[in-house]
Amino acid sequence: MKKSRSVGASSSLNGLGKQDGESRRKRKMAEITQALSVSPADVPALRRMAISEGGLLTDEIRRQVWPRLLNVSVDNIPEQLETVDRDNNKDFNQVLLDVQRSLRRFPPGMPDEQREGLQEELTDIILRVLVKNPQLHYYQGYHDIVVTFLLVLGERLATALVEKLSTHHLRDFMDPTMDNTKHILNYLMPIIERVNPEVYDFMQQAEVGTIFALSWLITWFGHVLSDFRHVVRLYDFFLACHPLMPIYFAAVIVLHREEEVLDCECDMAMMHHLLSRIPQDLPYETLISRAGDLFVQFPPSELARERSQQTAVSTFKDFELASTQQRPDTVLRQRRMEQQKRTMEAQRSTVAVVQSTGRRFMRLAVMGLTVALGAAALAVVNSALEWAPKLDLLFP
Amino acid sequence: MKLEEDSMADIESSFEFSSSLTSSSLPPPRTRIFKIIVIGDSGVGKTCLTYRFCAGKFPDRTEATIGVDFREKIIEIDGEKIKVQLWDTAGQERFRKSMVQHYYRNVHAVVFVYDVTNAVSFRSLPSWIEECRQHALGQEVPRILVGNKCDLRHAAQVSTDVAQQFADAHSMPLFETSAKNPYGNDDGSRNDSDHVEAIFMTVAHKLKSQKPLILSQPPCGLGDTVTLRRQDEEERGSWGCGCWRS
Repeated sequence: MKKSRSVGASSSLNGLGKQDGESRRKRKMAEITQALSVSPADVPALRRMAISEGGLLTDEIRRQVWPRLLNVSVDNIPEQLETVDRDNNKDFNQVLLDVQRSLRRFPPGMPDEQREGLQEELTDIILRVLVKNPQLHYYQGYHDIVVTFLLVLGERLATALVEKLSTHHLRDFMDPTMDNTKHILNYLMPIIERVNPEVYDFMQQAEVGTIFALSWLITWFGHVLSDFRHVVRLYDFFLACHPLMPIYFAAVIVLHREEEVLDCECDMAMMHHLLSRIPQDLPYETLISRAGDLFVQFPPSELARERSQQTAVSTFKDFELASTQQRPDTVLRQRRMEQQKRTMEAQRSTVAVVQSTGRRFMRLAVMGLTVALGAAALAVVNSALEWAPKLDLLFP
Repeated sequence: MKLEEDSMADIESSFEFSSSLTSSSLPPPRTRIFKIIVIGDSGVGKTCLTYRFCAGKFPDRTEATIGVDFREKIIEIDGEKIKVQLWDTAGQERFRKSMVQHYYRNVHAVVFVYDVTNAVSFRSLPSWIEECRQHALGQEVPRILVGNKCDLRHAAQVSTDVAQQFADAHSMPLFETSAKNPYGNDDGSRNDSDHVEAIFMTVAHKLKSQKPLILSQPPCGLGDTVTLRRQDEEERGSWGCGCWRS
């Protein structure tokens, strides 16, 4: 993953004339409107829109599409939100403490009064979801995710979506312990190893660990990115993808910083320091498509196979089991093998990086399928049968 | 005299040191590193304290720490430059168990923090001490106790007496401070960054006198250590609380 290549990849995006960009944006908006207007909505198309360049473009579109991506039926959300009993809530103090300190998550110009109102709503959403789902445990950072939904969707819609997200994508983070979160972090280094063994070796040698990426993972980068536009762009991507996509994105960020990492003193503290401070000017679109590529090339099931030989990764054994039981997996595996054959021909290090636009698009489309499968697998793990109808939709 | 003995014991027990003595060409002196972990309940002000020390000013606002944050500052003690590394940890209990262990490795000192306006954070201290024990931190690792937010004296729930008893029972010096307003009374008579700074400097002095062999570093002269001891006493006297009992 050499710098010149990443520059090449991003310049193809940046090189577009402004007018061209504008017309593409308009075209994309039209496509999203189209996908929303059919009944039932074309969710696979919406997933692709959320992943592809620019994501879902506006918060107005997000308000319509995010519920679809999470399979939340907007019509069934009660008008009146349940009242929250703050006094008898075991999590209240911790939530309050974190919400009060979350000033940075709100737009800089927002009047104090308005922000304070939103902070109240934020506390209520969190407590409401926790009360309704006693199996879920609050973690510091959860509030960073919920605030994003609140700011985009408003309290009512945010409550419904956050509840769905918490019982699915965020489920592992909300266990009584963080053991499963740790297991997920354990995917980071194998991904890095496959793309850039040199960076991997260097990081291993420094014994940097993976905690520098913890807040990235469990807040979907909401805690570390200061520009809200970047945060929602990433949320488009993650909502459309497999719950493990944030760890691929984390790997991509590390790989993007290859030179800095290799120039760093080979020391745990120095490297932790370097990596945990995320550059604010990342080429997000390039990194998103790269993360998608890596996901297709090194899917979780494959990494899990490797990892399960070292540690007991219960959740992901289940993942693997679940995906092998799904019929479309064989189709995917075939595609993957074809793809691997192609990529084997190319040099290992170039595999993940440069794609012609057409080819990248095809890969993302493939990933769209993988992603749906992943969601199905997760649903099996959580014994949530509600995902099944969507599978039928995707693989009739 | 006591300190001399300590130094001798360190020299004898350090293979690293004895080998560097015998080797014909000594490596160029490296900056010594003091690794200090800062622990305590959520919201007691760990981030504030560490930021205050490393940046020299109070942060505008702090957020919940997720996992572990790292800050460092180069200080100078008796002409020697020393890198003080502070590991600022998440307070929520769930992060302790599986996430933070990695950062207990090779720490040279522990700073326990509680909030003087929050009795619960004080009552949690035994479990934090137990946490250290579980991470196999030996008794020789210096520990200090910091009662933070003493600018909010009117809202204090933990009296200095009670805290001092606790500190004595666990052989720790106690410091009460405020990362925000270190003098409580705000009389403006001294530069207000001194106090937090002094806490960490005390730890650094202690480490320097106790552990001359961190990293492959030529010995510091015994004369220095004697000076340090005097400085220690001065500082202790000016705060009127706590003393080293190791």
